[in-house]
Amino acid sequence: MINTKEKKNPQHNSQTSKFFDVKKLYLPLSQHTGKPSCACVEPGREVKEAELLAKSDGLISAYLSAPKRGKVASIVDFNHPVLTKSPAVILNCLEGSKDYTRQKGAGSFSKKELLEIITRSGIVGMGGACFPTHVKLSPPKEVDTLIMNGCECEPYLSCDYRLMLENTEGIFSGAGILGKILSVKQVIFAIEDNKPEAIKKFNLLVNTKKSDFPNFKIAILKSIYPQGSEKQLIYKLTKRKVPSGGFPFDVNCMVQNVGTAFAVYEAIYFNKPLIERIVTFAGGALKKPKNLWVKIGTGIKELFDAGILEFKQDPVKVIYGGPMMGIALDSLEYSILKGTSGILFLTKEEAALDEESNCIRCARCVDACPMELIPSEYVKKVKRNEFDLGSLYLNDCIECGCCTYVCPAKIPIVQYIRTGKKYAIDN
Amino acid sequence: MQLIISSSPHQKSELTTSKIMYQVIYALIPVVLVSVYFFKLKALFVIVNCVVSCVLTEGVILRLRKMPSTLKDGSAALSGLLLALSLPPSISWYAATLGSIFAMFIAKHIFGGLGYNIFNPALAGRAFLAAAYPKMITTWVMPFSLSAVTGATPLALRKFDHRIFSSIADVMLGNIPGCLGETSALLLIAGGLYLLLRRIIDWRIPLSILSVISLISLAFYVINPLNGSPLFHLFSGGIMLGVFFMATDPVTTPVTKKGRFTYGIGCAVLIMVIRYFGGLAEGVMYSILFMNAIVPLINRYTRPLSFGR
Repeated sequence: MINTKEKKNPQHNSQTSKFFDVKKLYLPLSQHTGKPSCACVEPGREVKEAELLAKSDGLISAYLSAPKRGKVASIVDFNHPVLTKSPAVILNCLEGSKDYTRQKGAGSFSKKELLEIITRSGIVGMGGACFPTHVKLSPPKEVDTLIMNGCECEPYLSCDYRLMLENTEGIFSGAGILGKILSVKQVIFAIEDNKPEAIKKFNLLVNTKKSDFPNFKIAILKSIYPQGSEKQLIYKLTKRKVPSGGFPFDVNCMVQNVGTAFAVYEAIYFNKPLIERIVTFAGGALKKPKNLWVKIGTGIKELFDAGILEFKQDPVKVIYGGPMMGIALDSLEYSILKGTSGILFLTKEEAALDEESNCIRCARCVDACPMELIPSEYVKKVKRNEFDLGSLYLNDCIECGCCTYVCPAKIPIVQYIRTGKKYAIDN
Repeated sequence: MQLIISSSPHQKSELTTSKIMYQVIYALIPVVLVSVYFFKLKALFVIVNCVVSCVLTEGVILRLRKMPSTLKDGSAALSGLLLALSLPPSISWYAATLGSIFAMFIAKHIFGGLGYNIFNPALAGRAFLAAAYPKMITTWVMPFSLSAVTGATPLALRKFDHRIFSSIADVMLGNIPGCLGETSALLLIAGGLYLLLRRIIDWRIPLSILSVISLISLAFYVINPLNGSPLFHLFSGGIMLGVFFMATDPVTTPVTKKGRFTYGIGCAVLIMVIRYFGGLAEGVMYSILFMNAIVPLINRYTRPLSFGR
């Protein structure tokens, strides 16, 4: 656990704006953990906003809907931050947008109907892991505690915070639906103390809606990284330890991101699939860092072409996600996916480009590791091409980056750990 | 637009190895000043001699090993400073130089250089001098004496003359014969606290050493006051220098949290065993060196289970 340089301002404190006037959308069929979706449109076909583009294919997969009215240009490989390339639906957008009206009778849906809508809406975990939500909501074990993750412990990112401020009621209702599906005993909103405004708003809601939602609570947590990590969060709030290699449901818990709850709310009450999200655009290379509502599939480059984002100086690194766990991109030719919480444009000063030096065995990595591992040991072994790392619990590493953050010798420890894990898989 | 690709995380703390080294050096500046105040130019000569010899030796070795110069990281200068502070002010210049060369060449670089040495270089250098010049390293001058008026350290008096001579105040302030850095316990504590507050050193080792020494010496004091009170034992000899600046040397101490406690307790027990039962009056140096040697063993047997196991 570490204190990072948060750098959440100024995007943290400014109102979110919208950019939906996009010309082209790039929609990879892999926007989630599991099997890619299976496209159900062909090039040349005109689709309406919210019309289905691709269906879930297999047990762990997700639907994908058209974020805008448009004409399918092609289905080709497009850049993907995790997979490098993924088949994607390229949509040439047409004029017009759809109005979503509040659905009547949304409150009386059965669990099965709710799950059905969530499946059809293509909702995935919005915190970054992108696990299909309908699968997660059918755990093999009973869940008594639902934790709504509003920690947002990654530096720079503030999309969850803005969502919590600007759509408090939506998140609250969404959490209510999730709680109903799971029949939980309690719902805990976990918010870090660097978001006092959000805490205030949720406190007010919890108190005023006490009669309808008596089992809703707020937990104010000290801001520390990686607070939002599932296992650490569950332990902090319930003192239950998720066993190594296990899942939160093994200790009867489930963690859902606040963004996911909002997507669920929109799906159930407005019949609106997951086609938009808030993304934090930040970093020293930007003239004006901001949080933006964008259509899923919006190209990063188009945001600059349209003048929505402007460079103050050339970035040396562009990060997909937060600075602690995000992925460095090689160009701007990437698009916003369902799980994109932020795109960061870092200057040389921000990018931590120090050279690696000798390990001085100071054990700062040991003290920082939230999984209680000995990270320096992996480095030593991997450097010597010794990959008997199983006995050292290598697979328990969550790659949060704390060890590398604190290392005074600037050793890219996580990189060595990934090398070790890769070797273990390959052999 | 040229973009750099690298593995996450993309943000790192500002702390570097050399910042750690310099923080420790800064924490020792008051001790250096007061040693010069007590022992005048003698102290200054020893300090300059050791620091310069260590830095030069490391420079030459790095050149011979065809390694990039890492002199600026401050680790060689720090080793030199620590060695100087562990020596008596009357030591001859060639002995101090030889000790420095031994510390850098044998104790540090033979084992692979920064981060690879098993023994604390400064202490290894001192151990070498204790073996090579046993007389010189146990000859102490009285503070403020310009000529060589020699005296015995409080610990030596306790051990060999069976009397507790110095007042606790003199021992704390450093107005006693002893090594350069043995002298002012209060300033050493101040420096140690500074390092603790800045999170440069970990609290586990100092806490375990100091508390175990207090406990053991209290027990012996109750049996016989001539054994020395806990305060006498804590503030005399090399305890404070050893505890805050040598036993906390990251390279030569365990990485596991439990291991750091184990190491601290081990150091404390050995120190008291040597002081009470050994042939020497003081045992900080050998205790730490011995514990250094078994650090890999401690690490192995104190490995924590990971979260959720």
